[in-house]
This record gives sequence, C-alpha cells and structure tokens, in this order.
Amino acid sequence: MKGNIVAFCCEHSAYAAADLAAKQGLCYGENLRIIPVPCAGRMDTIHILKAFEKGAVGVLVLGCEEGACHHITGNIRAEERVESCAMLLKGVGMDSRRVGIFNLSPNAAHKFVRVVNEMNQRIKELGEPV
Amino acid sequence: METRIGVFICNCGGSIKNIDFSAVKEKTAEMPNVAFVSLSSDLCLDEGKKRMLSVIKDKNIDRLVVAACSPDFRKNGFQSVLEEAGMNGQLLSVANIREQCSWAHEGDVTQKAVELVRMAVNRTRLLEPVEKKDFPVNREVLVVGGGICALESALQFSRVGLHTTLLEKNSILGGGSRELEGLDSLKISSMIEAVKGDSNIEILNSAEVLGTSGEIGDFSVSIRQGIEEMSRKFGAIVFASGYETRLVESEGKPAVNVISQEKLAQMLKAPSQKRRPGTIAFILDAADENCRFPILATLNNALAIKERWGSEVYVFCKSVKVDSEGVEGLYRDARERGVVFLKYDNNPRVVAEDGHLRIEGEDVLLGKSLVLICDLLIAEEGISPAEGTKSLSALLNIRTDSQGFYQDENVHLYPVSSERKGLFFIGGCRGDLDLSRALADISSVVIRVHGLLSSGKIAVEVDRVRVDPQKCRVCLTCIRVCPHGATHLVRTGGKEVAEISSLACDACGICAAICPAKAIKFEGYSDEQILSQIEAMGVS
Repeated sequence: MKGNIVAFCCEHSAYAAADLAAKQGLCYGENLRIIPVPCAGRMDTIHILKAFEKGAVGVLVLGCEEGACHHITGNIRAEERVESCAMLLKGVGMDSRRVGIFNLSPNAAHKFVRVVNEMNQRIKELGEPV
Repeated sequence: METRIGVFICNCGGSIKNIDFSAVKEKTAEMPNVAFVSLSSDLCLDEGKKRMLSVIKDKNIDRLVVAACSPDFRKNGFQSVLEEAGMNGQLLSVANIREQCSWAHEGDVTQKAVELVRMAVNRTRLLEPVEKKDFPVNREVLVVGGGICALESALQFSRVGLHTTLLEKNSILGGGSRELEGLDSLKISSMIEAVKGDSNIEILNSAEVLGTSGEIGDFSVSIRQGIEEMSRKFGAIVFASGYETRLVESEGKPAVNVISQEKLAQMLKAPSQKRRPGTIAFILDAADENCRFPILATLNNALAIKERWGSEVYVFCKSVKVDSEGVEGLYRDARERGVVFLKYDNNPRVVAEDGHLRIEGEDVLLGKSLVLICDLLIAEEGISPAEGTKSLSALLNIRTDSQGFYQDENVHLYPVSSERKGLFFIGGCRGDLDLSRALADISSVVIRVHGLLSSGKIAVEVDRVRVDPQKCRVCLTCIRVCPHGATHLVRTGGKEVAEISSLACDACGICAAICPAKAIKFEGYSDEQILSQIEAMGVS
C-alpha cells in the first residue's frame, strides 16, 4: 500500500504513548506504520531512506523528551541523523519536511496523535513525492 | 532445515471487532516460511498458552509470531512459552494489532493488520537466539560518604546480609548532618555507634576513591587511605557524598554581623552567650528561589533562637516553601512563637550603620516599604555538590546536571540509578533533597542493590550487541558514544578491537547506528531486521 507514514518509535516513550492513545480512544490515520526501536538513537539514515524507497510519504522519528532520554544521548543522536537525512532528501529533490523528529513522554498520548495528524496534514499539502 | 514460523492470531477475547480474522489467516498462510496459523481468543490465558505449547511441539515450529495486544502486556509470557518448549525466548515477534491497529482506527482495518503480521513475520525470519548466562557477582557493597544517608544505608545493607564498606573522606563519621540543627544529634551518634559495632560494616576513614574499573558485579576500586593505596573489589557502589552550603555572594553586603546558618547553629549550641542579639533577620530567595534547603534551616534556627535567646526574628522571603515533610508544622510553630515573615518582590538592601545593620525592604502584603535595624543577619545560602563531586563524576564517566549534582537516570522512574549499571546515587549528592526524600532514597537503593547482588549471580543476555572483529576498524566511535560505559578495547588475534561488555550494556543500539564500518550487530534490532519490516510495506 502506497502512502504510508513510517514512525520509528522509542520503546521507552513514543511506543507507549501510541498504545495509550488507543486506550484513550483517540484515532489517527490508518497509514501509520510503527517500527519499535529500543532508543531513537538506534535509528539510522538507511532506515529512513529505505522507507521512502518503499513508497512511504513521510517518516517520523519519535523519541524521549529532551533531557529525559532513557539512554541519555539517544534522542540527540537521532536528531543529528534526521537533520542529515533532511539534507539528503533535499539533495534528491524531495521536500525535507517529509521527515520529522519529535520528543514525547510515555504518557503524551494526545501529543502523539497531534504529531501524526500534523504530519498527515503536511503530506497532504506537499502531495505525492516524485 | 528451513525456518518454520508459527503465527498465532488472537482477537483478545473479542475486543478486536474491526478486523476480518479469517482473511488475515488466509493471507498469513501465504507468507513464506509460515508453517502454521491459528486463530484464538485467549492466548494470554493458561489454556491458550497450553495450546500454543502443544502446537509448537506437534508442528515442529522453531519461531513464533503473536498478533494480539501490545508487547508491553504479554511479551514476557509468550517468551516463557517458547522457553518451556526448549527454545530461545528471543525467537518471537509481537504484531500489535490491537492498540496500534484495531483500537486506533475506525472502520475495517484488515488490510493494515495483514501488513503488521507480515512485518512481524519478516523480522522473525531473521531472528537469532540470544543466550542468557549467569554471571557471578561480588556481594560486597561500597558506600561513599559518612553522612546520615551513608550511615543509614550501610546499616540497612548489613541488615539484609550484604557486607558493606563505608568510605569517608573525613577522619570522623557524621558528615554534614552533624551541624544540621533540627536533626536529633543523639540519633546521629547512636547511628555512628551502631555502624562501628556492626561486624558486617567496615569503615575506611580519611579515604578517597582514586579510580574505578570493571562493571556491575565486579568493580575494582582503587582507594587511598592516608598514604596507603589499595585496590578492592565490589559488586555495587552507592554514592552518598552529600552537598555543601555556601553563602551567596552579593555586592555591597556588609561583612560584619552577617553569618551563615551553620555558624548560627554553632552559636546557639554554645553553652553561654554573654551578649544575646536583640533582633535577628534572615534573608532568603534573593539569589535562588527554588532551593528547599534554606527554609528548613531557617525555621529550625528561628525556633531555636526563640527558645534559647528570645530575640525578635524577622524572615525576608519571596515564598515559604512547605512541601517537605513536617515543614508546614514548623512554619506554624514559628508564626505562633512570634517569628515575623515579610514577603518581598524587590530584593532588600542591607547597609551597615553604627554597629548595627539597616535593612531597607518591603512587605508586599502590607503594600508598604519598611526599615529594620537588626544586630545579626543570616545571609542567604545556596547548596552545591560536595567537594570532589566534579572530579569523581569525570572519573566514573557519569553525567552531572546544570548545578553539578549527579544526574539521576530518570528522576521519576529510577531516581537512584545512574546511567551505569551498578552505580547508585542517594541523598544530597543528587540534588536539593530534604531528609524524608533522602530516607526514601535509602530504601530504594537497598531494594535495588539487594535484588542485584543477594543471590550472588545475575542472569545477563550474552552478546545481544556484539562487534564483528573482522569489520572493526578501531575508530573508537562506539567507545565515545556509549552512554553506559559498556564499550572498551580488547586485544584479540594480534590486533585491538572494540568489545561490548554484556554486563554493562543496556541495549540501546546507539553504537550499532553510529558505527561507520557497520561492525556492530544488535540482535533483535539489526539493520536487516528493521529493514525487513519496511520491506513488508511495499507488498500487498
């Protein structure tokens, strides 16, 4: 299925936030595919690029809140990688806003849904990637 | 032999309604390597697990996919089913078709459920077993510090049967708590006696930590005591090195008749005071409003002044913080005894005037400015980590916060842990803690350390994250980035390569992502295993 948004979710924060969102009865777009990672810092550039290669329209990296990363610096490393990835996307003529990184705490169910919905909204404005 | 994956799909007792399970089963059966698919509604119950176990044996299944609720709930239970069947518990993936599929969307989500199952099947195909092994641990505990936290924790460790060494930099025990007015000094001295009389506690006075190496269960600590240097082995290290107070420097403050809380406490303890000050003022909150410590010391000292000297007491503050245990009562007592609290917005000005101090301040509740002539001013104090905290944190490779206190791993979930396994921080060395919070720290650390060391061994996953020595180019990047100090160099086969200690590793995968040579494999979250999940998305 084309048009997926891939979310790399830290198991210590965003993955739990996604579970909580469902338990609270919050809904978000069906096109979200969550890939659990033990820390946002585990996510590598190649994972993001592969997602776009496989037809994803956007990629989210969701880690712990700044200063509260379970693995101390993982969220900062992820941020650096997302930035370099955004540059790579620009280089091949894609909009760098298709990839985004956000900090969530495990109880931030509403923020999780807001981030996903905003990404969907942004993708709608940007249209299909070339 | 070809991999045979068993897929168990569960409708969670009928709570998943918007998925057509027979369609999911049909699609799943077509996926490569899938040897068996079953639908059920009670996988989390004993009957479900028994059925799973018999299917695993009958159908010769060697790895498992469960499509059901979030792995946060039942993953451990499914792992134990695998282990019961004589297989490695790691050969399992959970497809979260309840929380992240059925419940999160309205309308039919069969298509997404199939995709989630395919992602899990793809990952499971590539999984490899991770063995668990028991590592022996040293049952000795090192407690650094000599204050109330260190004493109490040493006593409690001894009570649960762990031999404890108390390392204190001063020549006598008691730490900063000796001077803290309001704390029962009898209690401290009886604790010191109890520690000295405990055969399970060894005391090293006038000693300091020079360096540590090793990991949880087997730390080597080099210690200097006087001129003697020694190396000792410990299973866990608890830091209770406390904090220091310092007078806040401010411009234009007169030097005469301005003293610290500690000095005041000493004066109050002195048996006879010839000249008793008639009017005493405290100034709080001028430099730092967020500190808990000053108000506690102020209230205790103000009450002692009223009792022993009967002087007039004025407290200039922005707000009285009564969130610590018992402080509300102290505040009420102080008010009843005639201590006057004045709330200000603009910092009061202090000038010396013929042997007295003239404080020009305001009271925002009265809406008036006022002038107070006093004999003694107790200046504001801030707290900072004890001397040596900075060098010790550098030595241990442990973070400190913006004020230089040891940074706890997660202030809410793991308040006494550090980012390195087996190192713990309690009491004042991790920030502005009052006594009741510090005592809570002691309880948590005793539970944590007892859990780790009491059996004399810990079960650890071996080589979940490992370095391929053939690929390692010794760039040291992994050693630099590891937040848990788990990576180090070893010499194998005539060359040096990086190696990850299974004991110290906390399985974050930061090294695996950053390694330029892609020499580090993180089993369960390897590049191939993550990419295989993404691959599943293109297929319909």
